[in-house]
Amino acid sequence: MKKWKKIAEAYDLRIPESDIERIAPSLDALESAFRPLTKNIPDDVEPAITFRVLPETDE
Amino acid sequence: MTLLEAVRALRRRAVSSAELTEFSLQRIAELNPTLNAMLTVIEDGAREQAKAADKELSRGVDRGPLHGIPIAVKDVFETCGVRTTCGSVIFLHHIPQRDAAVVERLAAAGAVLVGKAGMHELAYGITSNNPHFGAIHNPCNPEHIPGGSSGGSGAAVASEMVFMAMGSDTGGSIRIPASFCGTVGLKPTSGRVSRYGVMPLDFSLDHMGPLTRSVRDTAVTLQAIAGFDPRDETSSQEPVPNYLPEPRCSIRGLRIGLPQNFYFERLDPDVNIAVRRMAATAESLGACILPVRVPDIEALNAIGRVILLAEASALMEKYIGNRDQFGSDVVALFDQGRLLPATDYVNAQRLRRMMQREFAGLWAQVDCLFTPTTPMAAPRIGDKTVHLGEFVEDVRLAATRLVRGINVLGLPALSIPCGRDSQGLPVGLQIIGRPFDEALILRVAAALEDATL
Repeated sequence: MKKWKKIAEAYDLRIPESDIERIAPSLDALESAFRPLTKNIPDDVEPAITFRVLPETDE
Repeated sequence: MTLLEAVRALRRRAVSSAELTEFSLQRIAELNPTLNAMLTVIEDGAREQAKAADKELSRGVDRGPLHGIPIAVKDVFETCGVRTTCGSVIFLHHIPQRDAAVVERLAAAGAVLVGKAGMHELAYGITSNNPHFGAIHNPCNPEHIPGGSSGGSGAAVASEMVFMAMGSDTGGSIRIPASFCGTVGLKPTSGRVSRYGVMPLDFSLDHMGPLTRSVRDTAVTLQAIAGFDPRDETSSQEPVPNYLPEPRCSIRGLRIGLPQNFYFERLDPDVNIAVRRMAATAESLGACILPVRVPDIEALNAIGRVILLAEASALMEKYIGNRDQFGSDVVALFDQGRLLPATDYVNAQRLRRMMQREFAGLWAQVDCLFTPTTPMAAPRIGDKTVHLGEFVEDVRLAATRLVRGINVLGLPALSIPCGRDSQGLPVGLQIIGRPFDEALILRVAAALEDATL
């Protein structure tokens, strides 16, 4: 499992150690469920986020 | 009395909007000290709106079914000149200078806004046990939670403080309180109802919808609030059909899928029985109940959690420095979101696209799905875990397990009451439909309501 405390320190997130201990089981569970899913994403699948460029209009 | 019963009474002048509004205000005064459902009551404004509605109706100006009807909106909808807290001390003194699009549309339809409903802090949780404004209590049993995050909306509707209350739903926050309080609650398709002017929790998972005491009340509300809004980038231009089911509407020949995997696992037996009984009722009305296998919902829930944790933390990052201003449950979620790598968020959005394609295949087999809304009835206030057979599960994960994935897919989903558990608490049936097919799930729900009431 990931070392959440070290990640928090590296990012300077200033999360108290006791709070990290409290959330670590939830993060570990999510990691177990989510990580295997990422192994099989075809390269051509784009994220489901929309960003539209609209033509300029004269106003 | 339902909203449409009030409409009929108004039209035959058996009651006035002013009288309905006084009844509503009186009900709030009586019950709010116990339930804590309403955060702000707009007494003077509501009386003025009701007076204006009566005047218009007497002149023959009829704005439709919501005209003169007392309603509430969750305190996440901005209301011009009226405090909008989002259930947080950060926004304790936030007085918007604009109305949310939904509030505008409800006002244009003549609805009388009597108040702002309480909620889980920042809409980020399902108990509505708010550390700043106090716990909201379930009208069916005040020792139990009303669900959340739209807990005040559910409690206000179930206790007849108002005829309709708007909620928001990011991972079940309309459907969970509807299930726990015994009301109807609709999460419309993504883009169907404008998010403009709603304080966001999550950019890509937030949905707005009504809670009411009958299916047709939800239909007439959706009719008033649905439609394109250029101020919301995700707003859809899909035409708005007629949502109101006909009297004695038929569901003969409709194909209703009953999932054979995931949705009926780890359930309170009372919930299982109640939902299957409703499926049998649908079958007796001529619908075909078909066993189906649904795509991996555990995976969908994991994808939804990554998206929500990342987007909510990004949104609130500027406030996170002062940790004391959040409840411990909410700050824990923000911390989790900050610890996720950006690659996980992007991949979650890619997996979402894949799941959407996979789920689309299901609609060739069935017209809608029946599932439980929640695996259990409302837990007691303060309960952290729930026992479901041999399993012990975190209350928050259990309550969202059957609803969260539908937000990831953006599908419409409706919760309707379908019975009571052994403690007498309500149980909800979730009806999930094709994108923009709210009319069909409302028709199915109305037929069931007609058959069982």
